[in-house]
Amino acid sequence: MQLDFSYLVKTFVLCVKAIPVTLEITIVSLLLAVIPALLIALCRIHHVKVLDQLGRVFVSFIRGTPIVLQILIVYSIMPSLLNSLVKSAGWSLNVFEVNPIVYAFVVFGINSTATLSEAFRSAISAVPRGQMEAALCAGLTNFQAFRRVLLPQAAVSALPNLCSITVILIKNTSLAFMMTVREITAVAKIEAAYGYNYIESYIDIFIIYIAVCLLVELIFRKIERRVVFAGVRRVKTN
Amino acid sequence: MNRPFAPAQIWNSFLKIIPYAGVTFGVVLGTILLGMALAILLFIQGKSERRFVRTLSSSCINIIRCTPSIVLLFIVYYGIPKIALGLFGLNLNFSSKLVYVVISLSLIYSATLSEIIRSAYLALGRTQYEAALSIGLTPFQAVRRVMLPQGLVVALPNLGNSLISLFKEGSLAFTIGLIDMMGAGNLIISRNYGAYSLETYIALAVIYWAITLILEQIFLKLEKHYSRGKEGSLAA
Repeated sequence: MQLDFSYLVKTFVLCVKAIPVTLEITIVSLLLAVIPALLIALCRIHHVKVLDQLGRVFVSFIRGTPIVLQILIVYSIMPSLLNSLVKSAGWSLNVFEVNPIVYAFVVFGINSTATLSEAFRSAISAVPRGQMEAALCAGLTNFQAFRRVLLPQAAVSALPNLCSITVILIKNTSLAFMMTVREITAVAKIEAAYGYNYIESYIDIFIIYIAVCLLVELIFRKIERRVVFAGVRRVKTN
Repeated sequence: MNRPFAPAQIWNSFLKIIPYAGVTFGVVLGTILLGMALAILLFIQGKSERRFVRTLSSSCINIIRCTPSIVLLFIVYYGIPKIALGLFGLNLNFSSKLVYVVISLSLIYSATLSEIIRSAYLALGRTQYEAALSIGLTPFQAVRRVMLPQGLVVALPNLGNSLISLFKEGSLAFTIGLIDMMGAGNLIISRNYGAYSLETYIALAVIYWAITLILEQIFLKLEKHYSRGKEGSLAA
């Protein structure tokens, strides 16, 4: 088996340049997902009537279907839907020239809304009930108690889950090439198609994905250590 | 949209896709068998006396967990024929794509599975195994009669989740041209010249969702069934 090493290096550099796109998709969709996920989690914890059931169905659907399918569904419905919307609103925007990364944000945003809501739900329900009640007794308002007492504790226990969600999301963004987003996998595929150097391309992105995911795990471990130790220190000084 | 949404088409695609469920289930079954073997290998390596072997196994697991399934799928699909041709002079260009899908999925699955086995083993503790040996069981008997029945119960929820995600990852097989349910759906769309794509995808989504829900229910039932004794012991 002969590997084309000059090609290997050349594509590696090209793919490394595409890392920001992957990270952009990951970060933007996570940020987009945080607030809806928190709302769904709260609705499900407090058993808000219709919203609880809706949230459950939504989460079950997203977790029950492959992400490829979600991508294909959104990519087949969104452009024409947006187009008719834009036309009926009378704007002069050509939807079909919109950067496909927007659709990636939508798909991965929806997908991480579901996964994040589950993480938030388990983290918030892991905080003992007495904490909230004690905070209310101390005279905090509902919102203050949530923000100052519940959330910081829930955030600590949610961190390991958040880490795995982020890593899975990074891995899932490799499917964004189906929406013609030029992220790592897409660049590798395009490069490979010129000279049938598929195996070299995939070895490149194999290495890149491992590096990126390990780096993300490392960052999360750092944050975790800092947050957990900060909590410990606070308890000790009090 | 310039073409009205046709709900009848969902049912049509559904009927055409269902016959290919066998391929999807076959892939999953093959993956479970091969993945289980690999996972046990990884697990035993992780328990090895030698540090080098342990590091090897844990880094294998880490690497696999950090690789997108599609990248692994492509590496296996393009890599194995090339290696076979280069090293053994074997031409694998016309072999079934099923094999590559099963190999790459079992690589992914083995990493998850070996972690599941490890966590079940940690939950049981070494003492169970040693106690079984001390009353005169052979190591194989100790694993089969003592560790497995208990470990399986501990591992059930994780096994269910991993099986569900395996089904979902299996849907990527269409990217290398395997005609499973996903591939069949794509074929239907291209046979319609790209029309009714949304309807076909919805049919597929319903099928996958149904599979997930059924698997979830089965594993919930199993869990309930096997944890009956445990509730009694907790109450006592």
